[in-house]
Amino acid sequence: MTRILEGPRDWPHILLRETPTPTGASAPDPTDLDAAVRAGAFDGLKRAVRDLGPTATIATISEARLRGRGGAGFPAGEKWRACVEQRSQVRYVVANGYGADPASGTDRLLLETNPYAVIEGLAIAAFAVGATEAWLVVRAGDDAFVRRLESAVGQASDAGFVGPDLLGSGRELTIHVATVEGAYMLGEETVLLKALEGRRGQPEQRPPYPAERGLFGRPTVVQNVATLAAVPWIVVHGAAAFAAVGSPSSPGTVLVAVRGPRGEGVAEIPLGTPLRALVDLVGGVEAGHTLKALLVGGPSGGLLPADLLDTPYDFESLRAAGAHVGSGSIVAVDERACVVDLARLLTRFCADEACGKTIPCRIGLRRVGEIGDRITSGRSRPTDLQLLADLAHDVAASGLCDHERLATLPFTSGMRYFGEELDDHLVRSSCPAGVCHPIAVPAGAAARA
Amino acid sequence: MKNILPGLGIARGMALTLNRFFQPKATIRYPEAPVNEASRFRGRLQLLYDEYGTLKCETCFQCAQACPIECIDMGGVDTKNRYHIHWGPPETYGERREESALRRSGRTVPDAAYIHFDAIDLGPVDAILEENEYDPKRMLPILEAVQATYGYLPVAALKRISHTTGAWYAMIYGTATYYGHLSFEPPAIRAAADAGAPVTQSGAAATGGPTPTGGPTPTFRASERSYLGALDAALGAGR
Ligand SMILES: Cc1cc2nc3c(=O)[nH]c(=O)nc-3n(C[C@H](O)[C@H](O)[C@H](O)COP(=O)(O)O)c2cc1C
Ligand code: SF4
Ligand code: FES
Repeated sequence: MTRILEGPRDWPHILLRETPTPTGASAPDPTDLDAAVRAGAFDGLKRAVRDLGPTATIATISEARLRGRGGAGFPAGEKWRACVEQRSQVRYVVANGYGADPASGTDRLLLETNPYAVIEGLAIAAFAVGATEAWLVVRAGDDAFVRRLESAVGQASDAGFVGPDLLGSGRELTIHVATVEGAYMLGEETVLLKALEGRRGQPEQRPPYPAERGLFGRPTVVQNVATLAAVPWIVVHGAAAFAAVGSPSSPGTVLVAVRGPRGEGVAEIPLGTPLRALVDLVGGVEAGHTLKALLVGGPSGGLLPADLLDTPYDFESLRAAGAHVGSGSIVAVDERACVVDLARLLTRFCADEACGKTIPCRIGLRRVGEIGDRITSGRSRPTDLQLLADLAHDVAASGLCDHERLATLPFTSGMRYFGEELDDHLVRSSCPAGVCHPIAVPAGAAARA
Repeated sequence: MKNILPGLGIARGMALTLNRFFQPKATIRYPEAPVNEASRFRGRLQLLYDEYGTLKCETCFQCAQACPIECIDMGGVDTKNRYHIHWGPPETYGERREESALRRSGRTVPDAAYIHFDAIDLGPVDAILEENEYDPKRMLPILEAVQATYGYLPVAALKRISHTTGAWYAMIYGTATYYGHLSFEPPAIRAAADAGAPVTQSGAAATGGPTPTGGPTPTFRASERSYLGALDAALGAGR
């Protein structure tokens, strides 16, 4: 069961609702519209429609400097403005709740506990850019979950918050709940749009960005569900209040899925929180052991050493350190884990899931993984380290989508911070963690293998 | 201006054309140095083999898709040797090409031993297509419904979908092979293949899985299971 981790009292709740005090009363059903409205749901939409109007709504979001929570951190306000500036009769908004990384349950948890925040954010975005149709896309597989979402959308529509006459404004907004499944890449925005069009899921060259030419060729705003869930709060409390939370370049809160040897869960944290505080949320490592590495960003995340625990969790700081926000997943491992082996398995996953459209991605990632296989099994060649560095650089530099730009991070960050451990495998034929068996075999046998 | 002097536009155009005569030729070498090709050269496309003797072509169709005059046509059995495909609109040259490719591969057409050619009752496919208004934009729901009916995607069904929706056969094939939950193998074969896949672990269900409101554990694909397994191992599961 995904546990919600509570941080210090002064961490604000923007995305997740305050957990009810454990006084025996069972938590209210999150899909109960009346209860949600009593708690303030759709106040933001009312304000956007009745007081602000589309232009001022976009200005508010820009002023709040809300950045995409899907990983890339692109300013939401800019995306909406780009969409509005297109000459088109039809525009769409797509909420990306696919949750590509199976180790990060953040989007799912948000949709389960606070579905109306996402629906309201979607409605505000659609109102601001003038879209009449919107999609809420989630991963298929759990029918009950999808039905709950459909029921929430249905209730909001029956109550007139969305539907043929959005809050009496005369505008129309139809929200479809769509399910997709079958590939990791479906989380990527252009792939997600392809899936909605019923096509093979391979990313598209950008520009044109989806905000210019997206779903069925129409200007489309694609936004992560957590980005949308922050929108109503901003509209109600104002841009300044939002910008005051978190770090100056990345305001607001995000959801992270933290896992350590002693516990795991999802937490809402202000951006800019040091990584140390996140590891503390799950109780750090077991007594007698030391924290060795943090995998930050999911399967294509970076492996950061324990001395970078003071790095703030925000878009720029993580990129500079060699990791990224990505799926919001953070995994803390102690000294009994082998960083090289982990990087190898992560790369294999990234190669398995590559869409096959660009050749450096399709073949390069596979070769990077094979170098990892050789290093961990003692069959490495003298040139492997240089080849790994060159190949990783070339794959990242020729990326069509962010997957291949980032998928080499486990190895590049591993080389940057854990060179000693790599040397142990390559030169001394030993694995300090005792996970791999890099036993050298005679050169002739290695060549035949 | 244009209206005042009739014919000025034509004169301007001709002047531009004339101007070109005095400019250096943009074409390099040709026709001064004609290409010296072999007498039997037909501009034939050739697929190359790598050092292990496997075809380098991954049947990705990028070249056929990119070719401006659609002169590249491909047919044959795909890299996993399970299904034959071609590029091009349905019911055209490509369709016959594919059959001839199959013949050249030594099999008869249709081949009873080749399970994908088993004759099936296409009634349910037609019903599904009708329901989806023969709309190629609804390809995923169509394919999912076909798989739900037959347990897998039979070739005959894909052909029917191609012929009735007008979607290119190769496009449908591309879509069908891309999505991990769609399959060309009947469930029994699929289960056997899946059993050999890396096995799951304890923690996988914990993060992606049961939810505060108590949903069932989603099923993960094999690659996702090995990724989650790698994390579990690093975290010390089974230590
Ligand atoms: C391989 C890959 C997987 C992704 N998976 C997701 C995902 O599961 N959910 C998501 O919201 N964004 C995902 N993204 C990011 C999206 O491409 C896109 O940037 C995002 O949905 C835009 O919304 P935002 O600006 O609100 O972040 C992924 C990107 C890549 C390259
Ligand atoms: S189908 Fe793809 S791999 Fe094969 S020759 Fe064409 S471009 Fe190359
Ligand atoms: S282009 Fe294929 S995964 Fe990025």
